[in-house]
Amino acid sequence: MKKIPRRDLLKLGVIGGGGALLGKHTAEALQARAASVPGSYPIQEAENTLYSVCLQCNTGCPIKVKLYEGVAAKIDGNPITPWTMYPHLPYNTDLKRMARVDGALCPKGQSGIQSVYDPYRIRKVLKRAGPRGSGKWVEVPFEEAIREIVEGGQIFASIGDTRNYPALKDYWALRDPKVMKAMGKAVDAIWAEKDKAKKKALVEQFKVDFKDYLDTLIDPDHPDLGPKNNQVVFSWGRLKGGRTDFFKWFFDSGFGTINQHGHTTVCQGSLYFTGKAMSEQLDFDEKKGKFDWTGGKKFYWQGDLSGAEFAIFVGSNVYEGGYGPPLRVNRITQAVTEGRLKFVVIDPRAQKAVAHAARWIAPKPGTDAAIALGMIRWILEQGRYDRKYLSAANKAAAKSVGEPTWSNAAWLVKLDDKGFPAKLLRASDLGLPAFQKTVKDTAVEFDPPIAIVKGIPTRIDVQSEEEAVVGDLFVNTTLNGIRVKSVLELIRDEANKESLEGWARIAGIQPEDIAWLAYEFTNHGKRAAIDIHRGVSQHTNGFYNVLAWYTLAALIGSHDWQGGLVQNSTYDILGEKAEGPFFLKELHPRKLTPFGISIIRHGVKYENTTIFEGYPAKRPWYYNASDVYQEVLPSAAQGYPYPVKILFHYMGSPAYALPAGHTQIEAMLDPDKIGLIVASDIVVGDSYAYADYIFPDLSYLERWEFHGSHPNVIWKTQPLRQPTIAPIPETVKVFGEEIPISMEAMLLALAEKLGMPGFGEQGFVGGLPFKRPEDFYLKMVANLAYGEAKDGSKAVPEADDEELEYFAKARNHLPKSVFDLERWKAAIGEAHWRRAVYVMNRGGRFEDFKKAFLEDGTVAHKYGKQVNLYLEKQAGAKDAMTGQPYYPLAAYFPAYLDSTGQPIADAAEGYELNLLTHRIITMTKSRTISNYWLLNVQPENFIAVPTEDARRLGLRDGQRVKVVSKSNPEGVWDLGNGQKKPMIGKVKVVPGLRPGSVAFSLGYGHWSYGAANIEVNGKVVRSDPRRATGIHANAAMRVDPVLKDVTLSDIAGGSAVFYDTKVRLEPV
Amino acid sequence: MSRTVGWILFAILALVGVVGVFLRFTSSRDLAAYGSYIPWGLWVATYIFFAGLSAGAFVVAVLGHVFGVERLRPVAPLALAIALACLGAALVTVWFDLGHMERVLNVFLRPHFSSMMAWMVWLYTAYAIATVLALYGLWRGLPSLTRIALMVGTPLVVFYPGAAGALFGTVVAQSLWHSPVFPILFLFGGVLSGIALVTFATVFFSRKDKDYTDRVWLLGRITLGLLLMYLLIEWAEYSIPMWYQVGHEFEALMGVLFGPYWFVFWIFHLSLGMIIPILLLALWPRNPLAVGIAGLLASSMFLSVRLNLVIPSQVQPQLEGLVNAYRDRRLSYTYLPTLFEWSVVAFSVALAIAIAYGVVWFLNREKKLEVTQ
Amino acid sequence: MPQNGVSQTQDLENRRAFLGKFASTVFAGMVMGGAAVKAEEVKKPLQLPSQAPGGPIQPELEYEDVLVRMQRELEAAQQRGVTPKWVMVIDTRKCVGCHACTIACAVENKLPPGVVYRPVIEEQIGEFPNVSWRFTPRPCMQCDKPPCVPVCPVGATWKSEDGIVDIDYNACIGCRYCLTACPYQARTSDFGDRWTDGTPGQGKMPYEELPMFEYGKEWKPEGHKSPVGNARKCHFCRHRLQHGLLPQCVTSCIGRATFFGDANDPNSLVSQLIHKPNATRLKEELGTEPRVYYLV
Ligand SMILES: Nc1nc2c(c(=O)[nH]1)N[C@H]1C(S)=C(S)[C@@H](COP(=O)(O)OP(=O)(O)OC[C@H]3O[C@@H](n4cnc5c(=O)[nH]c(N)nc54)[C@H](O)[C@@H]3O)O[C@H]1N2
Ligand SMILES: Nc1nc2c(c(=O)[nH]1)N[C@H]1C(S)=C(S)[C@@H](COP(=O)(O)OP(=O)(O)OC[C@H]3O[C@@H](n4cnc5c(=O)[nH]c(N)nc54)[C@H](O)[C@@H]3O)O[C@H]1N2
Ligand code: SF4
Ligand code: SF4
Ligand code: SF4
Ligand code: SF4
Ligand code: SF4
Ligand SMILES: [Mo]
Repeated sequence: MKKIPRRDLLKLGVIGGGGALLGKHTAEALQARAASVPGSYPIQEAENTLYSVCLQCNTGCPIKVKLYEGVAAKIDGNPITPWTMYPHLPYNTDLKRMARVDGALCPKGQSGIQSVYDPYRIRKVLKRAGPRGSGKWVEVPFEEAIREIVEGGQIFASIGDTRNYPALKDYWALRDPKVMKAMGKAVDAIWAEKDKAKKKALVEQFKVDFKDYLDTLIDPDHPDLGPKNNQVVFSWGRLKGGRTDFFKWFFDSGFGTINQHGHTTVCQGSLYFTGKAMSEQLDFDEKKGKFDWTGGKKFYWQGDLSGAEFAIFVGSNVYEGGYGPPLRVNRITQAVTEGRLKFVVIDPRAQKAVAHAARWIAPKPGTDAAIALGMIRWILEQGRYDRKYLSAANKAAAKSVGEPTWSNAAWLVKLDDKGFPAKLLRASDLGLPAFQKTVKDTAVEFDPPIAIVKGIPTRIDVQSEEEAVVGDLFVNTTLNGIRVKSVLELIRDEANKESLEGWARIAGIQPEDIAWLAYEFTNHGKRAAIDIHRGVSQHTNGFYNVLAWYTLAALIGSHDWQGGLVQNSTYDILGEKAEGPFFLKELHPRKLTPFGISIIRHGVKYENTTIFEGYPAKRPWYYNASDVYQEVLPSAAQGYPYPVKILFHYMGSPAYALPAGHTQIEAMLDPDKIGLIVASDIVVGDSYAYADYIFPDLSYLERWEFHGSHPNVIWKTQPLRQPTIAPIPETVKVFGEEIPISMEAMLLALAEKLGMPGFGEQGFVGGLPFKRPEDFYLKMVANLAYGEAKDGSKAVPEADDEELEYFAKARNHLPKSVFDLERWKAAIGEAHWRRAVYVMNRGGRFEDFKKAFLEDGTVAHKYGKQVNLYLEKQAGAKDAMTGQPYYPLAAYFPAYLDSTGQPIADAAEGYELNLLTHRIITMTKSRTISNYWLLNVQPENFIAVPTEDARRLGLRDGQRVKVVSKSNPEGVWDLGNGQKKPMIGKVKVVPGLRPGSVAFSLGYGHWSYGAANIEVNGKVVRSDPRRATGIHANAAMRVDPVLKDVTLSDIAGGSAVFYDTKVRLEPV
Repeated sequence: MSRTVGWILFAILALVGVVGVFLRFTSSRDLAAYGSYIPWGLWVATYIFFAGLSAGAFVVAVLGHVFGVERLRPVAPLALAIALACLGAALVTVWFDLGHMERVLNVFLRPHFSSMMAWMVWLYTAYAIATVLALYGLWRGLPSLTRIALMVGTPLVVFYPGAAGALFGTVVAQSLWHSPVFPILFLFGGVLSGIALVTFATVFFSRKDKDYTDRVWLLGRITLGLLLMYLLIEWAEYSIPMWYQVGHEFEALMGVLFGPYWFVFWIFHLSLGMIIPILLLALWPRNPLAVGIAGLLASSMFLSVRLNLVIPSQVQPQLEGLVNAYRDRRLSYTYLPTLFEWSVVAFSVALAIAIAYGVVWFLNREKKLEVTQ
Repeated sequence: MPQNGVSQTQDLENRRAFLGKFASTVFAGMVMGGAAVKAEEVKKPLQLPSQAPGGPIQPELEYEDVLVRMQRELEAAQQRGVTPKWVMVIDTRKCVGCHACTIACAVENKLPPGVVYRPVIEEQIGEFPNVSWRFTPRPCMQCDKPPCVPVCPVGATWKSEDGIVDIDYNACIGCRYCLTACPYQARTSDFGDRWTDGTPGQGKMPYEELPMFEYGKEWKPEGHKSPVGNARKCHFCRHRLQHGLLPQCVTSCIGRATFFGDANDPNSLVSQLIHKPNATRLKEELGTEPRVYYLV
């Protein structure tokens, strides 16, 4: 029987044919297989199994890819990891056994091969052949695209556009690391100077000091905008470890732009940034050279389900979304059926988890803080809080009571004349001496905070392990003429602002629910978990909702306890802990250190900059947050604080993903506003439909990445994504090497063309080459294998000969452009090879099951630090729109405010339904519409309408309605170029939704991604109607009435706002 | 003139049919509307429709030659030709319905005795042989052969529509089918529709000898009797499950009566297929035109009975909510035959006409018998 | 400079004296009225329920993932030399309606559009605010008295000794009689559709060209060859059982709601589960004697 080699078939299928897909495996191999014995089941054999990581959603479940002649045939869970098994198999399980045991994955994980072998995947660089968003493309040679990006000019002349497009080389303006560093320092000094005149003088001095380099600056009169390098922006959607570091190597160390922004705020931003504020430590700040708040981590806690007896899921879609179903659901169902766990769902929507919940509580959207404060009030009144935990005011005190963490509940706060808790009370306020410390042989003073200990104001040596300060909890007094209150007292004040009934009324629930929740929550010692997610954080009051729930958690101090609040822990891949074997930080030969105000204006106090112009600022500044996704494109289009010349965008879809996503399209349409847009995707997605170039990327089954972990995984892990199938994009030559087109190939080629240090023959310090992706990633694998001990005592075992053999056999189908045994070995050297193979054979590194639990009931990988309930740093910064300081405590603020904090009153204009959105387990935002298997489970989404509202509004099941809002009264997606897509969906009347709300699920309603015809090389690529079904109502979400070009945002926490918009449904 | 019109109509039918069959072989069953939750559609209905016609036609010959109803003897050849033609159409239609047409012989090669379908096929085969032998006897002028063949065929003609009924009736899963009356109903329906068809053919295509009007009158009377009895049985069939207005069968029947395809029952079956023929036959029993038209209506409209028998039961989901659990056009509980399916039916009809015409033409050519005008 | 703040172990007197020294020099006249600040009284000095008992809760340490246990039992069943009696148990209290089983099965068996072996029926039930969900996965019940078997005109489907109702793809004529006969609608017909028909993939993307391994054979998708044209249904992943592997809907059950094993082995997990009062079967009244049990 003659078979067409499969690669030819694929040629037919993928946009832009040509090139080998299957590498070494051709017709002979297929025929050999055809002759194989009946009863054979090759896909379950160890030599046909490769281990990697799912990326169908961000949970990143470790997977095994079962191969059939080089084609991914089936994906299952890697059984040695906590994601897919509970308990998971030990790390040293041998490969044959690993191959035989399949771990569980969610349906998206199962269907991944349809994402990868998607007929709409692109294989060559696409360049637009019409105006942005016109849907017209031509395939261009990779080298040509690289040249055009680097050199700019009239690159769109062929379509009659004679604009001069910016050249990347021109914006790689400041290239001297020393100068950049010095400038950065000088800018810090300018910012630190409060006096206006002196500030001005410092700017003048700057111009003198750097007179030879002024042309490299965006604006020499405002040196704090930074160098022109900052006018090149790199923004991304989903990006994980390893690739992050690779891209940083280029954009940060190599190119020197401050503008590298992720998507956190579209995701669960305020969760992270509240976590950051709560994890700031009063400690020695090396950068500032003094004791100050420092080291806040962008992170958050989740509930540990391995030990919880009671769990509250607040706005956390635990069965269908979150991080993630395969790893949490089995724990819950097991414990619930055995009666070991009781859990509650707080969500206006009856998500699937209510099936097994002890209670479903459906609050008014945006009022979660009210529930938390009501619970806090009840708990404080009943005295059912952990007094021992809360009184511990420093590390030593925590230690003395066996607590891994402590809080600042007992610390004293000064009230200013308006009664605002403006600052901590410090020793100096009372005339008490500062602590004299020696840090790195220099003497430094530390003016410590104060707690009342048995009536005596006592200085707190926060990080001391010896001198315990056990403070009084409720203090309300005047010291030295200063009005002070303890933090817990302030929290009690907040909680007492309403009665239990009052809080219940705000949240639209029963007081009894609050009391019951509070009772149950305080009835399980440390084993009561709180798990909050997007439903809490993505409101205009997201930051304070999160703070309120985390404050509540602190009342029982369950942090780091099994069953309580836990954090993420991953193995280091950068060689930082062991300072080797490949200490990447030190391997860059000429590292730039970017400085300046970012395009999203984050991490800087507006009032300290030279572009301060009073309040309100032109746009919000994000002192607390970073990765403010929604701000990147509109700010760039507006040119505030400066114009953007070239935008690189990777694996994101801001137009689809963001609320009011049409404003993101608007921002991209005009090349005069954003000079050049270069995107990396696997298809022509809904946002990159507006790019100038789309570079095809390697999908998750084709590339390297270190996916990392999530807070609810208490085991230390590092899942490794690695090439498992031959690359689908075309192969190109960079630095003389054959590699598939990918984000890496693009950056390597740009670096080659620019002559950027850090790449090429001498890419790494010590003369090691950096010419291929593996040159970089394998070093990280080696680091991971080596472990975090300098002496190598934490290394993984070495692969034996049999494992080496499996390693090679299982990769036999990979073409040389991806896998070459000798070259791979050379990238890290013989000494590290066997251990690296051990890691790669197992798809990463995973701690054994038992190691995560300690005898005392705490988890092994601890946060182990202070938990801030009062946020002094926030109180000391101002909201750039109002000029008011950020509120430093858990508090209830109503949701649905504009960027200047004014309430939005759309309901009065007849927009009375609260629009909600959520995940379903079969869909991941804009990425799974290609998964036809999943589409059969749910081919389209709908607009869920509560029974009561449907009756009132006369809406029936299946009826088509348009979603309209104040900022989108037409109810359309304005796609630019005169094209509009109405936001019409089908009604589904459901009992499980709080009356007054409507909801749609994420993942449908596409306008690109194969949902519309496009033209490539003058030929039409026909769309697939299955990809165009359903509704995506993000464009109905409220545009900020002040800014007018972006969604509503939580100014404190950065979150884009998804759940506050009021809409109307218009039958069509 | 009318002959030309007839030829043109036939040609159109045949052309449509050939296109349908061509599509059937090239695009598989892509274009058909049946799926997995409604696995049997128009083709299966057509098949039992033709099978019934065949049986009824055969009965006319049996009446003439076995039961000695002299007046019907002259139409026996015509009836047998129709019986053979309809059997051919039935088998071809159901053959087209198979997922693996090339394996049809498995029914003989791997007989499975518990399957009503297997029995039915064997009965068909025997019945087909009996029909051919009876015709052979007529052609060769061997009346005893014809008689014996018809006598042997008599129980077959009782059993095989019965078996077809049992094929449905034994399916426990389908509440509407799963009824002991089914075999009887099938038999009756078959005999009724087949005799009606012969009546029609007799009126328009048989030789108008001296007994013509009597024969037509007699056939008309038989048809009328059968129609009335059928109505009675149908009443029993419908009224029992409807009485308390609960249950699966009730829902299925309500679907038949008042569902989206209500007109199939009320217009095609009840009005055109029953009431009008009954009126025609009752009011103008001696008017050949009225009787002929009544015969045509009663026989052709019987397809609606077959459709209503096959489809509605399947429209009822076996498990509530299953239809939303995994969605595909093949996994739906609605069914409307596509043009493609109709075109394949057109082929079967054309085929039946061709066979009947061919047999009659053959018999005529031999001059041994003068079957038609 | 001495550190302020005292560890709890130090005795209070010590502390008083120590602080006293300070107070006299530093606090003099600063603390209101010269008196120590009084912490506000806590109203009810209630005791919190006891903290986490001394050690970690690790019942799981003695426990293994049921997937591991079931696979071990499966491997043992293969060795026992007695014909196993395969049964599946679905715990509806643990099913979370994730459809992972549906898709795992579809991918494993390379099911084309319209063919499904294990759909999961989901319903939201109740009225606001008393709302819940019901999830019912529906594989083939492998009935002990399977109505689908006797109807087959060619004997292409039968009840095997181990309880699985098999289909011989090479014998099946595609009449779909069995489809009409199954009271659970567990059989679907393969019409030969391809997922990427009508897209640039033209039904020929690599995964559509892959073989599947049902009934221990390698079936390549070629034109209208079997299984196209056939009746298809869940077979308890017979091809995996042959290799001592669990069915894919079991391995991928994220709620661990699906159990599989040999009911002839009294110690197997499934044996323990099916003899409990909460075990029922679908449409028990029909007398089909399903081999799939539901725990309610
Ligand atoms: N209505 C509504 N909207 C939401 C949410 C919601 O709940 N409801 N949730 C929000 C959340 S939490 C998030 S995190 C955001 C996510 O939003 P984004 O981070 O913007 O991500 P995606 O929508 O997943 O877009 C990913 C893009 O990357 C492409 N892609 C896929 N694989 C690859 C690859 O391997 N390489 C490259 N280069 N590209 C690839 C896809 O084709 C797609 O175009 O969406 C948000 N949007
Ligand atoms: N299936 C699937 N899983 C995923 C992803 C995916 O795209 N698909 N994406 C991953 C990513 S990137 C993320 S960020 C996570 C997100 O994980 P989750 O945040 O757990 O997922 P969502 O479905 O967005 O859940 C938000 C829930 O909040 C509810 N909600 C809305 N408003 C309020 C409110 O005011 N109060 C309360 N209490 N609840 C409210 C919504 O009804 C919804 O059920 O999921 C991850 N997992
Ligand atoms: S939860 Fe599902 S989609 Fe997400 S990573 Fe895990 S298996 Fe993949
Ligand atoms: S469930 Fe249906 S297909 Fe399966 S054995 Fe029973 S009757 Fe047959
Ligand atoms: S479809 Fe196949 S298995 Fe089913 S009854 Fe017909 S021949 Fe038998
Ligand atoms: S046992 Fe196998 S064939 Fe049956 S539903 Fe489960 S995965 Fe599918
Ligand atoms: S995989 Fe398990 S939990 Fe998910 S739907 Fe299937 S049976 Fe239910
Ligand atoms: Mo997210």
